[in-house]
Amino acid sequence: MIPIHTRVFRWNPATEDEGRMVAYEVSVHEGARVLDVLQSIHDDIDPSLSFRSSCKAGQCGSCAVLVDGEPKLACMTEASDGMEIKPLNLPVIQDLTVDLIPGINQIPRISADTGTGLPAHEEIQAIKPLRDCIECFSCISVCPACDVTAFTGPAAMRGFMRIALDPRDSTNRIGKAIEDGLFTCTSCGKCFEVCPKNIRIPGKAIEKLREIANKAGLTLPRHQEVEKLVQTTGRSVPREKLTFLEQVGEVIEPEGEVRGEVGFFVGCMFNGRLPDTALDMLYVMRKNGIRVIIPPEQVCCGSPLIRTGQTSYINTLRETNKNCFSKRGITTVMTMCAGCGATLKNDYPDKPFVVKDVTEVLTGYGIIPTQKLPVIATYHDPCHLLRGQGISEEPRSLLIPAVQEFIEMPSICCGSGGGVRSGVPEEAAALGENRREAIRKTGADIVVTVCPFCEYHIQEHTDRPVKNLLTVLREGYEAMESSGRESTDDK
Amino acid sequence: MLGEQIHECHVAVIGSGGAGIRAAIEASSHGETLLISKTIAGKGGCTIMAEGGYNAVMCEADCTDDHYQDTMRGGAYLNDPELVRVLVSEAPLRMNDLISWGAVFDVTPECTIAQRPFGGQKFPRTCYAGDRTGHEMMMTLMDRYHACGAETLHEVDVIDLIPSKEGITGLVGLDRKGDLVIVHADAVILATGGGTRIYDISTNSMSGTGDGYAIGYRAGATLIDMEQIQFHPTGAVYPRDARGRLITEAVRGEGGVLKNTKGERFMSRYDPERMELSTRDVVARAVATEIQEGRGTEHGGVYLDVTHLKPEEIERRLPIMLEQYLQFGVDIRKEPMEVAPTAHHIMGGLKITPDGATTIRRLYACGEVTGGVHGANRLGGNALADTQVFGKRAGEAAALCSRISCPDIDPMIHDIRELLGTYREGTINPAAVITELRLAMWEGAGIFRDEGSLTRCRETIERLMKMTPKAVSNQNLAECCTVRNMCTTAHLIVTSALLRKESRGSHLRTDCTEIYNPEKSLFGHTGISPAGARIERRNS
Repeated sequence: MIPIHTRVFRWNPATEDEGRMVAYEVSVHEGARVLDVLQSIHDDIDPSLSFRSSCKAGQCGSCAVLVDGEPKLACMTEASDGMEIKPLNLPVIQDLTVDLIPGINQIPRISADTGTGLPAHEEIQAIKPLRDCIECFSCISVCPACDVTAFTGPAAMRGFMRIALDPRDSTNRIGKAIEDGLFTCTSCGKCFEVCPKNIRIPGKAIEKLREIANKAGLTLPRHQEVEKLVQTTGRSVPREKLTFLEQVGEVIEPEGEVRGEVGFFVGCMFNGRLPDTALDMLYVMRKNGIRVIIPPEQVCCGSPLIRTGQTSYINTLRETNKNCFSKRGITTVMTMCAGCGATLKNDYPDKPFVVKDVTEVLTGYGIIPTQKLPVIATYHDPCHLLRGQGISEEPRSLLIPAVQEFIEMPSICCGSGGGVRSGVPEEAAALGENRREAIRKTGADIVVTVCPFCEYHIQEHTDRPVKNLLTVLREGYEAMESSGRESTDDK
Repeated sequence: MLGEQIHECHVAVIGSGGAGIRAAIEASSHGETLLISKTIAGKGGCTIMAEGGYNAVMCEADCTDDHYQDTMRGGAYLNDPELVRVLVSEAPLRMNDLISWGAVFDVTPECTIAQRPFGGQKFPRTCYAGDRTGHEMMMTLMDRYHACGAETLHEVDVIDLIPSKEGITGLVGLDRKGDLVIVHADAVILATGGGTRIYDISTNSMSGTGDGYAIGYRAGATLIDMEQIQFHPTGAVYPRDARGRLITEAVRGEGGVLKNTKGERFMSRYDPERMELSTRDVVARAVATEIQEGRGTEHGGVYLDVTHLKPEEIERRLPIMLEQYLQFGVDIRKEPMEVAPTAHHIMGGLKITPDGATTIRRLYACGEVTGGVHGANRLGGNALADTQVFGKRAGEAAALCSRISCPDIDPMIHDIRELLGTYREGTINPAAVITELRLAMWEGAGIFRDEGSLTRCRETIERLMKMTPKAVSNQNLAECCTVRNMCTTAHLIVTSALLRKESRGSHLRTDCTEIYNPEKSLFGHTGISPAGARIERRNS
C-alpha cells in the first residue's frame, strides 16, 4: 500500500455558500487510479463525498474530474501524491458531481431514414473516429467558447459531423449547427488535448462542418471577404502600408560567421500589419549567424480559409508556397506566426522541407545572451503554437533569461483564432477581457507572445504592452549595445 | 421529513442499459413511458462497456438452428428452449433495427455486416463495432430514445415495487437528495441488469449490484437458476485496483492464445477441439486450475498473448484493449496480457415467458435480470442480443396492459420511511458490509464450490443481513438500500447453489462427483421465491 495525500473540492450548495478544498490522506494499492482514491475517501473517511463513476473502464464518461486542473477520467488516470481533484467546469450539484444533463440534451441525434440499409465500408471508416465520444464533457469543461458564448460545445459539433457523414440521415442540419455555435470555435485545440478518446474535433468536425456550411453558402460574410481578398491579392490582410516583403531583399546575410540557413515564411499578419516585428526577427537572426532566405512570391498559407471551411482555393496557395521554397533548395522553412506554422506543419502533406517555428530555430542553434530587460514579463501561449505545434518550452527558454522576472499565466485562448475575431467579435472581445484579468493577476509589466493574432488582439484588451518575443530579444541586444557604448564612453 | 414527488405513467422501465432503453423505446410507441435510472440514463449498466459483440444469424451460410444448438449446448441444456428459439430467430431483426437507427457496426468490403468467431459457436456469428460494440449500441439506442418521447428520471434508485391485488402497479424510489420518488404505472419492466459486483472480482459496472433480483424477489416473483454465475476467463489481474476488468473474448476471437508460465498452450489439456474458443465455463475453470496448480504468474494470472498478430490488426480490431492496457503501462502489441477469471454474468434471474412476463402480474423483465435464456453458461455475444430481443418484447407486452387505478400506498410509504429511518440510525459503514460480502462470495460461491463453502458463505450473508448500514447523508440512503439488495441477491445465489447437487455449466460442485451428460441430467431449473426454494426433477 502507498500513501496518497490529496485535496478534494467539497461543496454542498444546499447548505454552503461556497466550496472549499479539503485535504485527505488515504492508503491505496500501487497503480491505483484517481477513482480508487475517491472511493477510499468515501469508504474509509467520509461517506458523504459525492462523485460519479460507473463502468470503471473508460467507456461510460461518468467520472471526468479536474486532476491538477486538467480534465481526466478518474477511472483511467493513475493517482499521484499531492494531486488536487476538482469538479469539471460545469454547474456543480455536489462536491465532484456536476450537471451533465444539459450537455447530453444538446447532442444532436441521428434520425435515420427508413430503408436505407448499411453504409459502405469507407463510409463506416470515415464515421468511426467521431464515434468514440463517451460524452464525458471534458471538452465542454475547457472550451473557451463555451465559457463566454452559448456554444453547445465540441462534443455536439462532433455529433453534427458524425450525422453529416452518415448516408442514412439525409436531414440538413448545418443551419442548426451554426445556430448552436459552429462559428464560435476559435480552433484553440484544447478539446482535442483533453479528449480521453483523442477525437480530433477541431480538424475532423468543426472545420469539416464549416466546409459544409461554405458549400451551402452559409460562410459568415466577414469570412467570405477574407477569401475574396486572398483570391485577388494572395493575402488575407489588405495592404495598408509598406509590407515586410517590400522592405527586404531575398537573402539576409548574418553578421559574421554563417551558422545556419532557413527559408522564411512571413505570413499575412507580419507581412501586412506587423512588419516591424518581422524586421526585429531579422535583426535577431543577423546577430546570431543565421542566414534568412525570403522568397518574394510566397502567399497566404491558407489558414484563415481552412479554419473557416473555405477550402476550394487552398491547393493553389499550397502549391505556390511549396514551389517557392523547394525551387530554391530550402530544406528548413521557418515561421514566426503560430497559425502559419501549424498550417504548414499539419495541413501541407508531402512538403519537401521541414517547418520550424522561429523559437525552435533559435533554441536549436542557441543564441547569444541578451541583456536582461528591467521588466516583469508574463507569457501568453498561442494556441496554434502550444497545441498546434506542441511548443511551450522553447519560447520560455528564450524569454526567461531576457527579462528581470518571469511569471506564468494560465494558458487559455485569447479569442483571436478560428476566424472568431472577424466573425464573432463580441466573443473574441469577451475572451480578450478574460485575458486582461489573467494578465492583471500576474502583476507583469509586459505580456510576451509569439503569435501576431494573439499580439494584436490581446493589445486591445490590456493596458500593458504586448510584445513579440523577437522584439524583446532585439531590445535586449540593443540595451546590451547601448550599455556597452556607455561603458566605453565612461572610459 | 423528506419530500415526495409523484409521477404517473403507463409503463415504468427500471434500468437504462441496452434492455431498458430498448424496452422504453418500444413501450413509448404505445403509451406514456417513464424510464427510471440509478445512473445518468445511458451511462450505467454493462451494455455500454460490452466489448466483443452481438450474435445474430446474418447470412445464408449460417442458420438459426445452429445458433440454437450452440446456445443450448453452451448453456448445458439448462436453457428454456422456447426463449432460445425466440432469441436466435429475432436477434437478426433487432440487429437490423439498430442498423436502421444509425448504428455504426463494422462492415465487410462487400457491404455486409462483419462477423467474428466467438467461443462455443460453430460459425463466426458475432457482429461487432471494433471492441466497443456495446458502446456503439448504447449510442444508437440513446439517439433513438431521445426521439421516442419517453420521460427520464436520472439518478433515482428504486427501493421497492408497489404491489396490489392486480399485480405490480408502480414503484417507490429515492433520488440523490433523499426525496422519495413515487411512480404509479399500469405495468413495470425490470431491466436492472446483473449483479456480479457482489463478488470481490467482477467485470461489472458499479451499478451491477443485483438490485433487480432483490426487488423482484421481495415483490414475490420467482427466480430461476440463480446459482449459475458466469466467471469470464479473462479479467485483468494488475494493477490490483483494476482486477477483474474485462478483457474481451474478442481477443481470443481474433487469435489470442492462452499460455501458462511454462509457455504451454494449456487449453489443449481441457478442450483440444475448441482450444481458446471453448465455452467460458470451460476456459475459466482451465485458467483457474492452471493458477491453482502453480503454473500462474506472480500476479496470479496466466498469459493471454496477441503478440503474434500484426500490430495494425490489433490497432484496428482491438483498439479499446490496446488503449486501456497502454494506460496501465502494457503494450499488448509487444507483450502478453496477464489474465484470471472474474465474475461476469448472472445467467439466472426472474422467470419469464417469451413476452418478458414474470410470475407476477403487470411485472415484466428483460435482459440480464431474467433467467432461462442462457441456461447454465452464456455464450459470448448472446447477452447483447438478449437485451434487444427481450427488451423489445417486454416493452411491447407491458404496454398492452390495461389501465389501472392507483392503490393505497400509505402503509407501504410508512414502512419505507421506517426503513430509511433505521439507516439513519445504522451502526455499520455500508462499505464494510460490501467488502465482507464480496470476499465471502468469492471464497464460498466462486468457480469451485461445495456444500461446506456455500454454507459458510450463507452464514456470513445472513449475519450481514442482520446489520444495519449507516447513512451519514441523504445520498447514503440509496447506498444502504443497495447494500440490502446485494445481500439479498447473494443469498438467492447461495441458496440456489446449495440446491443444485450436480455440476452443470458454470456451477461446479466439487462435492458432487457423479458426472451427468447435461442433456440427460436429472435436474431442471432451481426456483426461488418468498414462498420457498426447490429444484425441478426431470422425468427422463
